Amino acid sequence: VTNEIIGVRTPRRALTRARVLRWVVAAVILVVAYLLPQILGGSLNVYNTVITIAIFGAMVYGVDIMLSYLGEVSLGHTAMWAIGGYVTAVLGINLKLNPWLTLIGAVLASLLLAAILGLAVYRSRAFIWTLSTYAAAVVLSEVAANWQFVGGSDGLVGLPILTLDFGPISIPLQTVQQMWPVAFVVLLIVLLIVSRFRHSKLAQSSLMAHMNPDLAATMGINVSRVRFQLLLFSSIPPALGGWVYAYYRSYVSTDLFGTYFLILMLTAAALVGRRVLFGPLIGVALIISQQNLASLGTDGDQLLLGAVLVIVLVLWPAGLIGIYHTLKRLIGRAARKRGAIPEPSSSESAADSVPAEPNPKS
Amino acid sequence: VISLSDIIIGLVIGSGYALLALGWTILLGAARVVNFAHGQLYMLGAFVTWWAMSETGIPYWLGLIFTLVLVGIFGAIMQAILLRMTMTHDLVRIMIVTLGFGYIITALATILFGGNAQQVRSPLQQTTVNILGTPLTYQDVLVVAAAVILFAATSIVMRRSRVGRVVRAVAEDPKLAELGGMRPSWVYIGVFAFAAALAALAGALLSTTGPVFTSVGSDQVIFTFVIVVLGGVGRVWGNLLVALAVGVFTSLFGTLVSPAYTTAVLFLLVLIVFAIRPQGIQRQ
Repeated sequence: VTNEIIGVRTPRRALTRARVLRWVVAAVILVVAYLLPQILGGSLNVYNTVITIAIFGAMVYGVDIMLSYLGEVSLGHTAMWAIGGYVTAVLGINLKLNPWLTLIGAVLASLLLAAILGLAVYRSRAFIWTLSTYAAAVVLSEVAANWQFVGGSDGLVGLPILTLDFGPISIPLQTVQQMWPVAFVVLLIVLLIVSRFRHSKLAQSSLMAHMNPDLAATMGINVSRVRFQLLLFSSIPPALGGWVYAYYRSYVSTDLFGTYFLILMLTAAALVGRRVLFGPLIGVALIISQQNLASLGTDGDQLLLGAVLVIVLVLWPAGLIGIYHTLKRLIGRAARKRGAIPEPSSSESAADSVPAEPNPKS
Repeated sequence: VISLSDIIIGLVIGSGYALLALGWTILLGAARVVNFAHGQLYMLGAFVTWWAMSETGIPYWLGLIFTLVLVGIFGAIMQAILLRMTMTHDLVRIMIVTLGFGYIITALATILFGGNAQQVRSPLQQTTVNILGTPLTYQDVLVVAAAVILFAATSIVMRRSRVGRVVRAVAEDPKLAELGGMRPSWVYIGVFAFAAALAALAGALLSTTGPVFTSVGSDQVIFTFVIVVLGGVGRVWGNLLVALAVGVFTSLFGTLVSPAYTTAVLFLLVLIVFAIRPQGIQRQ
């Protein structure tokens, strides 16, 4: 801002053409992504697949943020996703609130859950932290299964059609073709929030608290508070996902708390690699495409998903992106052998390898 | 109104929990491995016993031995896969991989054993004995006896025997233990096999009272977690005491309030303990 006032051209401004090009490319990708179901033939199965990918893709970012920036395995995000869906259903069915209000309710409920959980595990770390989040999710699932107000084990049925009011205009969204834009926009919002977050102070502090908590504390970072803030932030994507999912299915049930979503979140977050913006989305896309388009049956799909999770973590702990880096290194080495490229400096190769767990806890 | 029989039933339930937690706490103490597939190994114990008995017609006790060996080997294989992560104390990966194991075990069990709930038929389930006015089945007595014997045996082995010394040395400092001629990787594999076999034993002993589905497992992990964290990681007798207390709580809460919310209330109590003492209640 100061540079503009005093009339200095910033280097960023100087690169106008490159910037314009980037925006054009982004816009083209966006349009292609939006038209994807039609490009893929526009069948009901294709629409359901892309909608599911968009919703689950949005949901996964909660777990991904905790894993990527704090190195904590959260198993409580299924509860945030489920509570987003449940609150949407309760507000939409019992109180007949419009979708904007149920959206606010879903996000607030998820934030509240994260806050309570965050206070309870405020000083816990590592496996106690993880097990606490797991237990919270299981306990909430049992409460939901036994509480008649939220439908007990049958869940809540009869959520009205998603009808979005924009002032005087009211748009009912009933078919999958109409549902797709909503899922798309929700995913887009989550991606925007996460990409902004990646350059934020919170992301930086969290990463420092993850890599070296003692050093972070020495540098004036309140580690416990950063962890708490990150947990709050990470509860938003699953709540948004839960909101759309409730309308998409028009009912909610205790399966939202289930292990399927838990494993899906972890696999999608681990599959491509940590701290890769589109990683979780690509992970979800691969998993859901397999399940919807090349299913091996419920148990077969479950077996495959679990096997993928185990194999990736055992063989390529850095995820698929790790394979990419390995390939790049191999190609680089081959090129160097021919004398084409000079030996890379040690710092460069260090930046390539993502530390899996830099601070082993005793 | 608290009755004596509720407490006795609670102690039986608690003995079951204790059996469930014993392997897990030793594994966590010795190898620093948090096994999220523990509940699925419990389920596997029930189903393998049921399958062995119904397929081959072998008696219950033989089914038990078969299950212990099979699931023990299965546990050893799991640890072999986890070995590098265990050596580097990569807890994050260990937790996620064991969750994956649990998911795989559930799927495999459903494919192999079918989607129906099954119950292990124990002959000891048929006859009852009166203990202080409370009718218990011989199976209940077996559960209590198994818990007492296994806890005593584990405690003695860990404190007095050479095996126990090796396990404790590896738990204390794997690198130094290796310099001292011990093999940490074999200790880890052995301890995991032991923990898996005990989880399976708990499953085979406790699934005689009612049918179980292949989907069970998450509750077992949570009860185990509560017991181990409150009783102290690797502390055999502390775990037994807490397990019995949790059992009595479960029984009383189930009778006096509602069985549906037992886990919820129990866990709420534990969360409160954590908020006050994040390392659990044991002295460090």
